[in-house]
Amino acid sequence: MTVSDADMPTADDALLIVEGASYSYLDRFPALDDVSMSVQSGEKVALLGANGCGKSTLLKVLAGLLFPDRGRYTAFAAHVTEDGLEDAQFARGFRSRVGVVFQNSEAQVFSPTVREEIAFGPLNMGLERDEIAERVDDSLAMLDILDLADRAPYQLSGGQKKRVAIASVLVMNPDVLLLDEPTATLDARTQDWLIDLLVELNAAGKTIVLATHDLNTLDRLADRCIVFSEDHRVATDGPTHRVLRDQDLLAAVNLVRAGSRSPRLAAGWPLPS
Amino acid sequence: MHIPDGYLSPETCGVFGAAMVPVWTTAGRRVRKIVKNRYVPLVALGAAYSFLVMMFNVPIPDGTTAHAVGAVLIAVLLGPWAAVVAVSIALLIQALFFGDGGVLALGANTFNMAFVMPMVGYGVYRTLSRNVSLTSPRRPIAAGMGAYVGLNAAAFCSAVELGLQPALFHSANGTPLYSPFHLAQSIPAMAFAHLTVAGGVEFALTAGVVAYLQRANLPLLRINHRAVPDTDAELAPPNRPPWRWALVGLATLVVLTPVGLRAPGGAFGEDALSDLPLHKYHLDAVPTGLRHYAGFWHNALFNGYGFDNGSHPTIGYLVSALVGIAVIGAVVFAGFTVVRRVRRGHDVDDDFETAPT
Amino acid sequence: MSATSTTPKWLLQHEVGLCPCACIGKRRKGGVIEKTTSGAAALLRQTLFSEDVAGERGLLQRLDPRVKVLSLLGLLVVTADLRHIPVLLGMYAGTLALAAASKLRLSFFVKRVWLFIPVFTGVVVLPATLNVVTHGDIVVPLGTWFGHHLGLTEQGLRSAGLVVTRVATSISLVVLLTISTPWAKLLAALRALRAPRLLILVLGMAYRYLFLLLNAVTDMYVARRARTVAGATDATSGRLLVAASAGALFGKAQTLAEEVHLAMVARGYAGDARSVTAFRMRLLDAAFVLACVAAAVAAVGVDRLLGR
Repeated sequence: MTVSDADMPTADDALLIVEGASYSYLDRFPALDDVSMSVQSGEKVALLGANGCGKSTLLKVLAGLLFPDRGRYTAFAAHVTEDGLEDAQFARGFRSRVGVVFQNSEAQVFSPTVREEIAFGPLNMGLERDEIAERVDDSLAMLDILDLADRAPYQLSGGQKKRVAIASVLVMNPDVLLLDEPTATLDARTQDWLIDLLVELNAAGKTIVLATHDLNTLDRLADRCIVFSEDHRVATDGPTHRVLRDQDLLAAVNLVRAGSRSPRLAAGWPLPS
Repeated sequence: MHIPDGYLSPETCGVFGAAMVPVWTTAGRRVRKIVKNRYVPLVALGAAYSFLVMMFNVPIPDGTTAHAVGAVLIAVLLGPWAAVVAVSIALLIQALFFGDGGVLALGANTFNMAFVMPMVGYGVYRTLSRNVSLTSPRRPIAAGMGAYVGLNAAAFCSAVELGLQPALFHSANGTPLYSPFHLAQSIPAMAFAHLTVAGGVEFALTAGVVAYLQRANLPLLRINHRAVPDTDAELAPPNRPPWRWALVGLATLVVLTPVGLRAPGGAFGEDALSDLPLHKYHLDAVPTGLRHYAGFWHNALFNGYGFDNGSHPTIGYLVSALVGIAVIGAVVFAGFTVVRRVRRGHDVDDDFETAPT
Repeated sequence: MSATSTTPKWLLQHEVGLCPCACIGKRRKGGVIEKTTSGAAALLRQTLFSEDVAGERGLLQRLDPRVKVLSLLGLLVVTADLRHIPVLLGMYAGTLALAAASKLRLSFFVKRVWLFIPVFTGVVVLPATLNVVTHGDIVVPLGTWFGHHLGLTEQGLRSAGLVVTRVATSISLVVLLTISTPWAKLLAALRALRAPRLLILVLGMAYRYLFLLLNAVTDMYVARRARTVAGATDATSGRLLVAASAGALFGKAQTLAEEVHLAMVARGYAGDARSVTAFRMRLLDAAFVLACVAAAVAAVGVDRLLGR
């Protein structure tokens, strides 16, 4: 365990800091083993790894939905614990600053109509009705789904559901966006749209953390990559272009097939120097 | 077993609706207590699940249908109070969208299937699965037995509700205004359908799912069995009887019974209806397959009518209702007493509401 | 009633096999699968279709859902109290008129209601017309059986008519409500009428899960069928299949339930259900309430006049 000084973040302007976190499901299936990482304000960070390496678990820890068995998590200079989030004031602050877009939009959209779905977060934040209505309309317009407002989410297509899920998070105006496999199961055009949106949001100052094993979109979606090994530890942490060049490492963590340069990587997208 | 609107008098509907209010309140409180963690979606899931199970009806010519309910399965997986909420909601959706079971009759239907069934069934399950590890082959059998008994308890209740109608609500010339079948007809018919057919389905479904989960998804079983060891072992502190509130519910029902008393009229021509020898005479014409059961129940419960003179229909109602409830109560009490005696300071299962969160 | 003299048990169990979830009887699994999948598909279509009707601009669709819920519930209570077939028929005609005013195709509406009045409601009340069940004055003698007179009684016939008309009217009222109201509005109306928050919350989620579960059921059976050669499997394997798929379904859905919960918590959910919907009563609503009250008073009045 690498626990540093009690209440001091390791880096001065780090927004989210995880130190020596370990987590096991049902106390017997390890998902995180002594993981330390931090995210600076305004960064685009990708958590990379094969299926079951723990990146989704780490995302849930960052979202304050799971709490490490060992180690600690600090967000916005405050220690995040299960007990701490029982406090309504702290929970409201934390939840409104951290937005989570889940991999499965099916799970994310659960309200009877799209409008209610998007209003769910602001309602829980206790905003005024007028402001909520305004924000909801703005979010609908921003994601170009005004015409879906009164539809039931289960009637929507996968891409439409993803838009609704993202709108329902953006409406709360979070500082940090956590996304689990955001481009998985989306068609090509929707993927492009989503990538553009995330880049735009990042340019507007939002911090973005995403878990993925899709290497194709990384050059645009992440400045930095944190790579997980299959034994649930951090294998490396560095700038995207450097990580992507390290074929041996990527093969070792099962992100590309061993002994063969990934054709997609070899296809020659521009590597930033 | 879904009683549609039109089979029960508004008075009966009112009584059962009123009886369910405290049950729902308690169930809501119990479920809400653990809501802050992750049970709301699970309860909703249970409701959808029960709905699916109930969707498959077999018509049985006695005024009802036979089908599995899944209430005991949900009680085993999520706890009896969650089952109350889940099955009630499944019944509400069915009543609203599929006309399967009435809206006014919702109180009666939920009393039978969402209250009596999970409580009785879970009681039986707990009794039979005492000191049994989570993966023991005895556990699915216990769950199946609970489901079987629970379903039949529910069927019996609905038979009593239906069977009381012609005796209490009929016009001057003896025309039954609601369900036309008497207790002597509704009870054997329901019992027959559920003891054989639907009970078997319920047993197979519940035992089968529990057995499957033992093999394939133990964590799901652990939700409501936190303190139960996976393999043979022993532990756990004494527990509050989960039936305490069930008993309160039944007691409430007894107290509320008079609310439903709206005397259907004065001295009606009840002679043909309640003439004992004539009744027996007609029973001889009932097909032999039914005669045995009919005769049995006929003798056992006819005292409950208590209105032979035709002059005290209200008292007859009260007495009949009390008899019906007493039988249900006896079932619950029997299970309760047995469990308590056997348990005595040892309890393997951890109840839903005491689960650490 | 339900059994003949010496029916062996196995024969009765074979009947049960008609229930798609039973698999107790000696049935080929193909039947089970067909029934389950087609049942699921039909259910989906039906419910989806009802949202289409709710989108029309008819009388009921324009009412405040709260008004609609209360009015139709009131009429339901009145219907339950009526004791004369002609009055009940009048009420039934009223529901038809409402359906027409709400731009419902009458043939569709009638079919939907009578589909729900399960065919067996008729079957159920038939024996009640016999003097064996309902004693009284025999109007249609059917001869003798084992030396006893057998026949349809006036009381039995009337009782059967009462039950059938009342059930039809009740179901019509409920169908009118649900078919003319989008599910979300119905929930909001219940919430506005002070239904417990937990109820609304679970109800809304359960409704959603239903669609997911139905899809999952269909997928699972289709997948299974693809792997099954012909229909020649024994009952035990059928039963195992049903139990296993029921179990797998629950497990699958439980994972989803946990995800939904996390998604809710991540957006600040702390156990309260809140809503943005606000309703407004209009003149039309007031007029509708008045009309319902008038209809109720008239029905009860006539019913009493005809005697109790």
